[in-house]
Amino acid sequence: MSSTGTKLGPSVAAEKTLLRALLVEDNALDATLVVRALNKDGFDVVADVVQDEAAFRRALHKNLPEVVLADYNLPTWKGMEALKVLRAERLDIPMILVSGALGDVTAVECIKQGATDYVLKDGLARLPEVVRRALREKTEHILRRRVEEDLARKVDELARSNADLEQFAYVASHDLQEPLRMVTAYTQLLSERYAGKLDENADKYLGYASEGAQRMQILIQDLLAFSRVGRNGSNYSSVDCNEVMAEVLKTLAPTIQESGAVVTPSELPRVWSDRTQVTQILQNLIGNAIKFRDKEAPKVSISAEKAGAYWQFSVRDNGIGIAPEYAENIFVVFQRLHARTEYPGNGIGLAICKKIVERNGGKIWFESQPGSGATFKFTLPLHDSDGGNGPQ
Amino acid sequence: MNANEVDILLADDSQDDIDLTLHALRAENLANHVYIVRDGEEALDFLFCTGPHAGRSFDHPPKLVLLDLKMPKVDGMQVLRQLKGDARTKTIPVVLMTSSREERDMAQGYDLGVNSYVQKPVDFDEFRKAVKLLGLYWMVTNQPPAGTGKSHSAGQSK
Amino acid sequence: MTTNRQLLIVDDNPADIGLAREAMKQCAPGCQISSVEDGVEALAFLERRDKYKTAPRPDLVILDLNLPKRGGLAVLAAMRAGPALRSIPVIIFSTSKLSKDVVRSYELGANCYVCKPGNLTEFFGAMKSIEQFWFGSATLPPRGE
Repeated sequence: MSSTGTKLGPSVAAEKTLLRALLVEDNALDATLVVRALNKDGFDVVADVVQDEAAFRRALHKNLPEVVLADYNLPTWKGMEALKVLRAERLDIPMILVSGALGDVTAVECIKQGATDYVLKDGLARLPEVVRRALREKTEHILRRRVEEDLARKVDELARSNADLEQFAYVASHDLQEPLRMVTAYTQLLSERYAGKLDENADKYLGYASEGAQRMQILIQDLLAFSRVGRNGSNYSSVDCNEVMAEVLKTLAPTIQESGAVVTPSELPRVWSDRTQVTQILQNLIGNAIKFRDKEAPKVSISAEKAGAYWQFSVRDNGIGIAPEYAENIFVVFQRLHARTEYPGNGIGLAICKKIVERNGGKIWFESQPGSGATFKFTLPLHDSDGGNGPQ
Repeated sequence: MNANEVDILLADDSQDDIDLTLHALRAENLANHVYIVRDGEEALDFLFCTGPHAGRSFDHPPKLVLLDLKMPKVDGMQVLRQLKGDARTKTIPVVLMTSSREERDMAQGYDLGVNSYVQKPVDFDEFRKAVKLLGLYWMVTNQPPAGTGKSHSAGQSK
Repeated sequence: MTTNRQLLIVDDNPADIGLAREAMKQCAPGCQISSVEDGVEALAFLERRDKYKTAPRPDLVILDLNLPKRGGLAVLAAMRAGPALRSIPVIIFSTSKLSKDVVRSYELGANCYVCKPGNLTEFFGAMKSIEQFWFGSATLPPRGE
């Protein structure tokens, strides 16, 4: 028995798969039989044969094998020890036990410990298929890992990019506030001090400047609110939407009274979400429903029903309606469908709603025709412990 | 009232002055969370969460302490000295509100770090006006160190 | 009551100083207002050094936090360090609402903290409230030159 490896050269054949194998075997005849079994069935084997750990390690470094075929029981070494070496060297090479009698229990135990498979020496006909399968699984494993790493990297980039955007929006809005404050304060001061003292064009110009500055202040505050949706982190808890509804009605009370609106909420469920954010969604949608009213007094109804793994909320109104071609547009930041003189507002409310809903894993959309009102719908995932609260 | 939700701690041994102060604060809607102590010892117990006030927390200090100088057991200057000398309480705004006209008292108060010093007017109406301005300033305009300023309905721009 | 009152405003934004002066002109016409735009100037003024040898001692200081050269908190700490300036009331007047700025200001000895309002009406309102309390009800420390 030599302590250095013996090389068994490749046989000449066409259409064969080259296979670099490392055999841990002390019986020369057994080694030959293993190689022959593989060569007979589509492989072109280049093999090193070793009997001890030192030789094993040397062979690994000299000529990295694609597969290790090890006898379970060698006089000076054990096949499973080879597995430990592979692990220590962090080599992800399949190891197949080729052994004499090997009880089922031992075999299973070996596989549990990491051997890829086992083949009995009197059943070598199975060996080629076993090797093929082992190689195939390894390739799949590598591919899958690469895909996962790719995905993880993309998710990471996206998260970072989002964080950057939000950070930018925050910083921009925050830093814009001071110079804007200067403009607003002084245009207002000018208006107050010099109203009527300069010619009438001056009054008009001052008015435009003032108005522009004030609008910008509101825009920046809205932008800050929008950026805040991601930044502040969320406080998730079990939220009773009926309580939220009551709060929203209280906040909107002046608008409701002034417009003569009739708001009818149905029984609403509990959801697992950030309470402030749920309040924001409902307040924005109901506020819009009242704002974009038609000639008659606004009627708004709010309901929810289970839809698969979600609660689907509906806010329905009898207002001016929305043409379906604005389906995408309407949720874009600062996108407005009407002149500022017709309906006030910056066009950020729906963008905030969309951001919140999507952060919670849901969707938001509307159904409408111009002149016949609109129904805004959004989904929020069901909470695990959702009992029978809310409509079935 | 929850001892951890006190906005103003009023320390004074004169019932007349207490009544007048409360009356003036009430007119500005600022009297909802006023706690009254009548001597310096109880003031210290309250602010240092000891004795009968052991259940109080340092995390919920009052937004303002209105302190008279001449009080039994422990006088106002002593209370002030202890408050401003302890890291746990030194940031609590303290207004010495006293009838003392001694310049020495005033100098000493400012030296010890009192936030402001108000001499109680002798005149009834002036007293009420002083408390009103004081209340509005410290409870509305001012931003106290603990928590955000209280949102308050009374108009600020007069 | 406001004649002869000396006010020092420390703010790096001349526009904000201008607004404060306008506001004070309305509610306290007799008040004398000095202003400086950074922390080093502020301390020179208060200690009456260099070109400020004849500067009046302020009865009240309105101090912004974000100042060049030396920040508001450093000025405050310097004022509280010695007996000469320790008793002058200081109002921190800043756009910052951050709790750490507020708490630190009180810790270093600010008498009070007022957030700079965003619009003109509230700004003037805040200045008026400051003037009414500090130059009205409060008894300011003796000037003791």
